Amino acid sequence: MTEQTALEMDRAQKRAILKRHINRALTYLLATLIAIWILLPILLIATMAFSTVEAVRAFPKSLFPNPVSTETMSFFLNSQNVLSSTLNSVIVALMTVVISTIVAAPAGYAISRYIFPGRDLFRLGILTVRALPIVVLAVPMAVLFIQLKMRDQLQSLAMMHAALTLPTSILVIGSVFASVPRELEEAAMVFGSTPFQAFLRIVFPLAAPGIAASAMLTFVTSWNEVFAAVILTVRNRTLPAQILTVLGTSPLEYKFAGGFFMLIPSLIFIFFTRRYLFNMWGQITK
Amino acid sequence: MKKRKHFNWAPYLLILPSLVFLAIFFAWPMFRSLILVFRSEDNILNIRAEPSMSAEVVGQIRQSVQVIVLENLCIPPAENEADKTEIWLLVRGEDADGNTIEGWAIDRRIRVDEEDPTSGTVRRRDLDLREEPGPISPIAGTLPVDTPVEILESDELVTWFRVSGPNDAGEEVTGWARYDFIKIISTAHEQVEALIHRGDSGEWTLQYVHRMITDRDFDDALIITILLMVIILPIQFTLAIVMALVLQSRLRGNTLYLYIFSIPLGTSDLAVGIVWYSVFTQSGYLNSLLNALGLIDHPLIFLSPETKHWMILAVVLAEVWRATSLVMVIVVSGLQAIPLEYLEAAELFGAGLWKRLTNVILPLLKPSLQVALILRTILAFQVFGVVIAISGRGLTTLANEAYRWYNEFRNPHVAGAYALFILMLSMITAIFYLRTVRTQIEEGRR
Repeated sequence: MTEQTALEMDRAQKRAILKRHINRALTYLLATLIAIWILLPILLIATMAFSTVEAVRAFPKSLFPNPVSTETMSFFLNSQNVLSSTLNSVIVALMTVVISTIVAAPAGYAISRYIFPGRDLFRLGILTVRALPIVVLAVPMAVLFIQLKMRDQLQSLAMMHAALTLPTSILVIGSVFASVPRELEEAAMVFGSTPFQAFLRIVFPLAAPGIAASAMLTFVTSWNEVFAAVILTVRNRTLPAQILTVLGTSPLEYKFAGGFFMLIPSLIFIFFTRRYLFNMWGQITK
Repeated sequence: MKKRKHFNWAPYLLILPSLVFLAIFFAWPMFRSLILVFRSEDNILNIRAEPSMSAEVVGQIRQSVQVIVLENLCIPPAENEADKTEIWLLVRGEDADGNTIEGWAIDRRIRVDEEDPTSGTVRRRDLDLREEPGPISPIAGTLPVDTPVEILESDELVTWFRVSGPNDAGEEVTGWARYDFIKIISTAHEQVEALIHRGDSGEWTLQYVHRMITDRDFDDALIITILLMVIILPIQFTLAIVMALVLQSRLRGNTLYLYIFSIPLGTSDLAVGIVWYSVFTQSGYLNSLLNALGLIDHPLIFLSPETKHWMILAVVLAEVWRATSLVMVIVVSGLQAIPLEYLEAAELFGAGLWKRLTNVILPLLKPSLQVALILRTILAFQVFGVVIAISGRGLTTLANEAYRWYNEFRNPHVAGAYALFILMLSMITAIFYLRTVRTQIEEGRR
C-alpha cells in the first residue's frame, strides 16, 4: 500500500464522515423547521389571547405579548353564554366518555382476548363505521330527536358523540388489553381466582392507564366536535357551537381568546397521552 | 368438526352492547336519512267520505291543485281534547288522473283565499285577545269558543287579525288574535275557491335532490370541496412522509420532536381555523410581517370574496397544519413495520435516499398510505369548521351547505340530501382507492 493510496483512502473516509455530518445537520435543521412550523401558530394565538384588547386590534402585531395581560381572556370568558356553553361542553364530553367507555370496554376485551367466528367481520364493521362522515348522521339524528322530543338536550348530543367515538374507543381499548399478557390472568386463575376477579385485580389495573388515555381521546373529540353540536343544539350550545354561531359578528379579541381557549384541552391531552399515540392512531392500519 | 367444545357465548355478550349502540346510532339514522331525502310526506292530500280522520279515503288530490269548497262543518272541541274547533271542508277537485273527486278534508291542509274577511267565529276554547299582534303582548280580553266576531283589520302578513266580539259577561272586547284561531270561511257565495296547501300522505320523490343540484351554491360547494382536497392531500402526504422519515432517523431529542409533531392531533378544526384567521386577517401576522420587511405600506386584504385564492390558501395551510400529524402517525407505524434489514441491504448496495424511498420504503408503506388516504379523503369531504372560521361566508363547502340548509333555510330534506351526497362521494373514493391498490398488489404477485 503506497502512501498516496493511504492518503486518498483517508480523504475519502473524511469526506464520507463529513457527508454524514452534513446529512445529520440537515436532518436536524429540517426537524427544527417542522417543529417551528407546528409551534409558531400556537405561539401566535397564545400571544393574542394574553395581550391587551388594544394590542389585539393594533397593527402591526408583535410576536410576543407586550405587556402580558389577561384582559382579552377575561373579556372572552365574561362574554354572554361562554361560561354556560363551556359547562355544557364539559358535561357533554364527560357523558360521552362514560357512555363510550362503558360500551366499548367489553367489546375491546372481547376482540383482544377471544377468537370467535365473526371477529374479523366485527373489526371490519367498526372500521367502516369509523370512516362514516358525521355530517351524514347528524341531520337525520336531529330530525329523529325532534320527533322523540329530545331536541336541544345535552344527553342527545352526548349519545351522538358516543356513537362517533365508539369505534375508535373499541379499537384503542382492544389494543390496550392485548398488551396485557394473557399469562398473568391465567396465573391468577391458577391461584384460584374467578375470571372476573382475575380481570378486576390483574388485567384492569394494568390496562387502566391505557383506558384513561382512550377516555381522554374521547373527551377531546367530543370537546372539539362542532357540526353535530351546532345541528343538535339550539339554546344549550356547546362551546364550539356557541363560538361558531357568533363568529361572524364577534370582535377579534373574542375570536382569538376563544380559539386559544378551545385549544387548551388538546394540548394537555397530547402531553398526557404521548405514550399511547400509536395505540390510538396506529391501530387503524392493523 | 367432530368433537365440538360447547359454544362460547362470552365474546358475543361482550360485543352486544356496542352492536346495539352502533345499530341505533348508525344503521337507523342511515335508513332515516334515505326517507328524509327521498320521501315527501306532504305531497298528496287524502280526501275522505265523512268529515273525520278515520273516515274512508275516496281519493287523493295533489298539493297546489285548485279546488272548490262546497260546504263547511265545524266540530266543536271535545272536552279534554284538542282545544280548537275542527273545521272540515267539503271540496271538489281533480285528482292526478283527471277524475273529479268530491269529499271532506280538514281545513288546515287547504288555503282558502277570502278577500278581506269581515266576520268569523272563534275556534279556540277561551281565546285570549292581545293588545298588539304577538303572543307576548298583554291580554286585552278573552272570548269563548264559537263567538261570532267582527274582523276589523289584519297585520301585513295576515297572520294576526284585530277582532271584536262579546265575551262571557256580554261586554264587547277588541284585540288581536292569531289567524288560525278565527274561522273566516263562509259559503255565502256560490263557489269558494281554495288551494290544496299541504298534503297528509307521502310519496317517493326526487324533488329534494333536484333542489340541491339546482341550488346556485351547489356547484361552488362541490368545486371548492374537491379543489381543497386536490391541493391539500398531496402536500399533506409529502409532508407527513418527510416528518416520519425525520423521526425515523433517530435524532437526539427524538421523543421531543415526536411530541411536537403530534401536537395538532387533538386540535379542534374551528380553533385551528381561528388561529390561521389571526395570520391572514387584515391586521394579522402576515401583514405585520410584510410590513416589518418593508414590502407594504398599508395592510392588504386577504380574506374577502374578491380574493378567493387567498382564502383557499389560508384554508389549505390550516388543514395541512391540523391534519398532517394524523397521516404522519399512520406512516410512522407503517415504517416501524418495515424490517430494518431491507433498508440496510438497500444502503449497502449504494442506494441513495431517493432510491431507497421510491424502491423500498414507499412500496412497503402502501397499505398504511392506503388507509391514511381513505381516512383523509373522507375527512376532506366534510371540511367545515376551518372554512367557516377563515372565510365566513366567502367560501362554501358541501358540509357547509348541509349546515346552512338545516339551520338557516330550515329544510332538513335538502340538508339530508347534501349529507347523503357526501356519503356517496366518500364511498366511491374509498372503493376506488381499495380497488386500485389491490389490483397493483395482485399484479405484483403475478
